[in-house]
Amino acid sequence: MLIQTTQLEKKVTTQDGILHILQPIDLSIKEGETVAIVGASGSGKSTLLALLAGLDLASGGDVSIDNVKLSDLDEEQRAKVRADKIGFIFQSFLLIPSLTALENVMLPAELAGHKNAEQQARDLLTKVGLAERLTHYPNQLSGGEQQRVAIARAFIGTPKILFADEPTGNLDATTGHKVEDLLFQMNEESGTTLVMVTHDAELANRCQRVLRMDAGRLAEVTRDVA
Amino acid sequence: MWHKISWRLLRHELKRGELTIMAAAIVLSVTAVLSLSLFTERLQTGLLARSAEFLAADRVLSSRRTIDHEWVEQAQEYDLQTANRVVFNSMAFANDELALVDIKAVSDGYPLRGELRTALEPFGEETTAEGLPGAGEAWVAAALFQELNLQVGDQIEIGETRFNVTRVLTYEPDVGFSVFTDSPNVLINYNELEQTGLIQPGSRVRYNILYAGEVAQLESYYEWLLPQLNDDTHNWRSIEDGDSPLARSLKRAERFMLLASLLGVVLAATAVAVAAQRYCQRNYDVVAIFKTLGADKAQIQRIFILHLLLLTVISIAVGLALGWVLQAQVIEFVAAQLGAELPAAGIKPYILASATGLVSAVMFTLYPLLRLISIPPLRVLNRQLTGTDKLRWLHWVASAGTIYALLLIYSQQWLLSTALFAGGSVAAVLLLLVGRVFIRASRQAGMQAGSAWRLAMAGLQRRAQENSVQMLSFSTAIMLLLLVLALRNELLDDWQRQLPDDAPNYFIVNVAPDDVGELRDRFAERDIVSNDMYPVVPGRMTAVNGVPVRDEVTKEAGGDEANTQTNNAEQREGFGRELSLTWRDDLPPNNTIVAGDWWGEAPQPQVSVEAEVAERMNLSVGDQLEFNIGGNTFEVPITSIREVNWGTLQPNFFMIFNTATLEDFPATFISSFNLPRERQSELYELFKPFPQVSLIDLDAIMDQLREVIEQVSIAIAFVLVLVLIAGILVLLAQVQASMEERQKELVILRTLGAPAKLLSRSVTYEFVILGAISGLIATLAMELSLWILQTQVFEMGATLHWRFWLVGPVAGALVVGTLGRLACNRLVRRNTAQLIRKLA
Repeated sequence: MLIQTTQLEKKVTTQDGILHILQPIDLSIKEGETVAIVGASGSGKSTLLALLAGLDLASGGDVSIDNVKLSDLDEEQRAKVRADKIGFIFQSFLLIPSLTALENVMLPAELAGHKNAEQQARDLLTKVGLAERLTHYPNQLSGGEQQRVAIARAFIGTPKILFADEPTGNLDATTGHKVEDLLFQMNEESGTTLVMVTHDAELANRCQRVLRMDAGRLAEVTRDVA
Repeated sequence: MWHKISWRLLRHELKRGELTIMAAAIVLSVTAVLSLSLFTERLQTGLLARSAEFLAADRVLSSRRTIDHEWVEQAQEYDLQTANRVVFNSMAFANDELALVDIKAVSDGYPLRGELRTALEPFGEETTAEGLPGAGEAWVAAALFQELNLQVGDQIEIGETRFNVTRVLTYEPDVGFSVFTDSPNVLINYNELEQTGLIQPGSRVRYNILYAGEVAQLESYYEWLLPQLNDDTHNWRSIEDGDSPLARSLKRAERFMLLASLLGVVLAATAVAVAAQRYCQRNYDVVAIFKTLGADKAQIQRIFILHLLLLTVISIAVGLALGWVLQAQVIEFVAAQLGAELPAAGIKPYILASATGLVSAVMFTLYPLLRLISIPPLRVLNRQLTGTDKLRWLHWVASAGTIYALLLIYSQQWLLSTALFAGGSVAAVLLLLVGRVFIRASRQAGMQAGSAWRLAMAGLQRRAQENSVQMLSFSTAIMLLLLVLALRNELLDDWQRQLPDDAPNYFIVNVAPDDVGELRDRFAERDIVSNDMYPVVPGRMTAVNGVPVRDEVTKEAGGDEANTQTNNAEQREGFGRELSLTWRDDLPPNNTIVAGDWWGEAPQPQVSVEAEVAERMNLSVGDQLEFNIGGNTFEVPITSIREVNWGTLQPNFFMIFNTATLEDFPATFISSFNLPRERQSELYELFKPFPQVSLIDLDAIMDQLREVIEQVSIAIAFVLVLVLIAGILVLLAQVQASMEERQKELVILRTLGAPAKLLSRSVTYEFVILGAISGLIATLAMELSLWILQTQVFEMGATLHWRFWLVGPVAGALVVGTLGRLACNRLVRRNTAQLIRKLA
């Protein structure tokens, strides 16, 4: 198993007592799988994503990535895991405004100390169709273009896992579809494991597995595959 | 790799103008410190050089005994120029007339600073003298020509020698301000001194060595000399030690410049602090993204520390260049105004300026940077998350410590820095509290107002916490500006008062009692403004409470060194010369009683002593002083101590007696008056009937004084402009920072359909109110600080500045409101979708 959780839970203390954001969750994701997590707003999807990616710490239970328990790692070691194995795509793109498209894509590879970061980044940007836009800043790009840059950034360094948080949530339908196509195409080519949070049923259906979050509980959705 | 990322971020951010405020704040702090300290140093060296003319040298060593020749030789080792000056009283004979004169024998090189001017006849056209009187020659002050009925070419007998009077001495740089206690001067060559045979053991002679040279050399020479000096006989002086109006003006100007520069530095540092906070805040997302992408803490630390250092270094470099250009421009302007070159400054201002930029950038960013580095990666999903808040105390400690350190480094005065800092801290806390109260009160008032106002008030109230902090920086900036402005006006007014256009430019001494009335009538007839006539009785103070004072080496002591050394330690140091004593019924103008009471017309013998003399000689009300006037000795109690404003050009006295005590002694009278230069020709007619009256021309001295004050005024205007820029930058940085906080709210209101006009109006009103309240608080704080400064630092009278009570709030409202409106307009002008995306 590439990702494994055992009794993973998240609680926060509020003025009205303890709030269970995630009820204990057991989940296994195999290498190369594409998984969608769907659910209403506030159901805990993003919290689960943050825990799986090691961005946040669980209140109980465990997450293992490649058989490494994240709860045994400190902040620095978790960062190392992210650097080596994980790529991200966010709803709001989260590009660094003062870096060009090329530099944004190079960034993870550079942080990980890769030598040929620039060439890799050029190739990836060409692949996502932005060969002409290398030196543009994020605010000079459209939403769809920004997300394509983010996709290129996610794939640099060939991560084992790609986490995507509502990747088309900020885009209009047409652009959204194009970005989806690109994402799935690149994912297929590289054989990356994809874990995606979305409330777009259509998008979720493009994944092999769909999990539904409901008030902090996770359930596998069985589908009639046409 | 990290350094590449760091440099890349910096390059792009600089290009995109995202670092402008932070860079501008550092640039400004460096520019301000550099140009101020360069300018002050150059001006001060220039001023000192000019004022050194009053000593005719940079430093003077004076002694009651001959000075070891080795000391002069040693001075040459230090590359110092030297000259000898020996001064003593003697009788001069000419044309069967007799007069008491001051003989001044000087050696080649005199005057080392300034110039001697002479004329070929009394009140004739004067020219700069080249060289000194030759063998057998004497140059004689104009006053003596009247007294001795002299003509140029006559002979004058001094001691055993006859001298040819070859020139009229019209101006000596070192004539000093104590003119009315001195007799007219006769200048002879030092080489002639021995021939006169006038210097005998026990003669009352002042031996001086004049020195001129580089400050550093003078200081090292003084260090060498110091262990060999004897406090009783030797006295080392520079112009700053003097009690002249010039020295006082200089000191005051120096203090003002220092203070204004300090305030400028504090303002610039405040701008850096505000900008640093914002610099870090805008990088919160960047750090969260870095961390999500797998960057570890060490990488992030290195990236941002390098980023900040690079930014700082670049800004410092720009600041240095700008500062240099600025002061060069100002110096050129000043030099053109005055027709004088100002000497170059050393390396110290550059170091000081760079250190200021570096220290404030690093220290003010310390806490925001720590916070930045601790931003959790989860922020990518939850934008509300910020870094740890636990170390907030560190922020206050670091910021306060930095400001204190800057004050200390800049002023190198422990007391002044501590006082300013402590006062500032108390003011800051008060400002915070008062600000909150004002905001609450304005909320009440706003409830009745129209919609834009209501929105503004609601905004003010909601952000009460942030607003009171903002108001603190607004108020500080406005207060410092008002303070510098008010202080400048006070100083200039004060100087103007000292040197009004009708300030006396002539002193008359030696007026016979019978002539007083007639002279007064003549003045009145010709519409000449003159001071009171003061009687003068020469006398010596011989004992305090029955214990003789240590005075000049007396004839009986034979000038023997050993004898003076054995003097009783309890004895007080006397004046070492005859004093000019006077009597009066009423307290002279510009004198204030600080202890005891003025006598009015009481007949019992009593004396009033000047405060500084009382302090130096440890005298207090009730002490019995013994005086010797022409062989008559009498005792008199001190009944009051007076403070005297020596800045005025009126006759001033250390000792004033009540009329009954002195009026029976033979006296002459002195006074001062103003006669415009174009009426100078009337002098001869005016004084023809009074041949024994000596006239002392102060015009030259006053011109010099005016020129110096003019220079200082230009300097002060320059300082004011710099402080103004610093203040505006603080306001700008603060408005910008607070705009970012408001952005979200504006977007929501805009999305909900609030018209742009309403929004920009409500924001403008909010800033107008903030500005007005800040202005009001600032004025209050300014009044308080000014009162402390005027009474404690500048030794001037305190005044209220009603004008500023209007200027403060109005200017605050205008400036802050305008800046707020400009910043808001930019925001509102963008379309809503753009804004939402920016905030997403």
